[in-house]
Amino acid sequence: MIFVTIGTMFPFDRLIQTMDAWAKDHPEQQVKCQIGTGSYIPEHMEYVRKYSQAEFSETVRTADLVVSHAGMGSVITAGRFGVPIVMIPRIKSKGEHTTDHQVATANWLRKKPGVFIADHHAELGGMVDYALINGEKGNELFTQYADSAFTDRLRDAILK
Amino acid sequence: MAIASGGGHWVQLLRLRPAYIDSNVFFVSLDPTSASDVPDHRYYVISEASRKQKLQFIRVILQLLRILWKERPDVIITTGSAPALMALGLGKKLFRCKTIWIDSIANAERLSTSGSQAGRVADVWLTQWEHLADDEKGPHYWGAVL
Repeated sequence: MIFVTIGTMFPFDRLIQTMDAWAKDHPEQQVKCQIGTGSYIPEHMEYVRKYSQAEFSETVRTADLVVSHAGMGSVITAGRFGVPIVMIPRIKSKGEHTTDHQVATANWLRKKPGVFIADHHAELGGMVDYALINGEKGNELFTQYADSAFTDRLRDAILK
Repeated sequence: MAIASGGGHWVQLLRLRPAYIDSNVFFVSLDPTSASDVPDHRYYVISEASRKQKLQFIRVILQLLRILWKERPDVIITTGSAPALMALGLGKKLFRCKTIWIDSIANAERLSTSGSQAGRVADVWLTQWEHLADDEKGPHYWGAVL
């Protein structure tokens, strides 16, 4: 199963529309998506507006591939469960976010194993095909918690 | 008190759990279903706040005041965003809390708007990017959630 998610805040119809077209061309793939407050309603993917936090984690965990905006919630959750992820950044000039920080996020995440970046929606379908072949499920990108040197220092600051 | 907006802010806050989990912590966020991530802790929901919507802004302040009044936290720790900055300000000025701001790792090129303002109310003011840190004025760099 492929899970397409746009996060929790703003709509991202460009992603949903592109993946709906991809799903139409790939009827053999089961595709689920979380579309938020978007106005485009997918015809070739199962969709919900928003999963609960527990359902979201479970859907990511059981997916073969996650396709998402370049948001930290998506990549941390996918990386935690060792699910490969294709990300496309939201662009400010298209009204998809308030700043272009997702472009920066995409740029530093593209070096990580299991993370595949499509800079433009025209590249998204090809990147999904590529990730399905080259992405390996089960390689956890992150441990459960931040580095202990960091959390220990924060803990000391809290207790001081 | 550990507080963060939904999505990436919340996930980052949870990655810092070892820092605060044995300190009788309670949580504050926006999504009621996030309570399932912290089942053994008190969990409060507040509304989304944006600077543009005045009424909503006041509503969040009242929600935060109620929580702060009831819980009287010693420390507030957050990974953002706007509503959490309000919590830091209220906690610091009215309840003398120690305040810790950790700007989201998503802000790799510059601090978030809230993150820049947080310098005024945060006792510990952190970025997760070394190149954005300023050892004298802050924000400081202590590490990152990833």
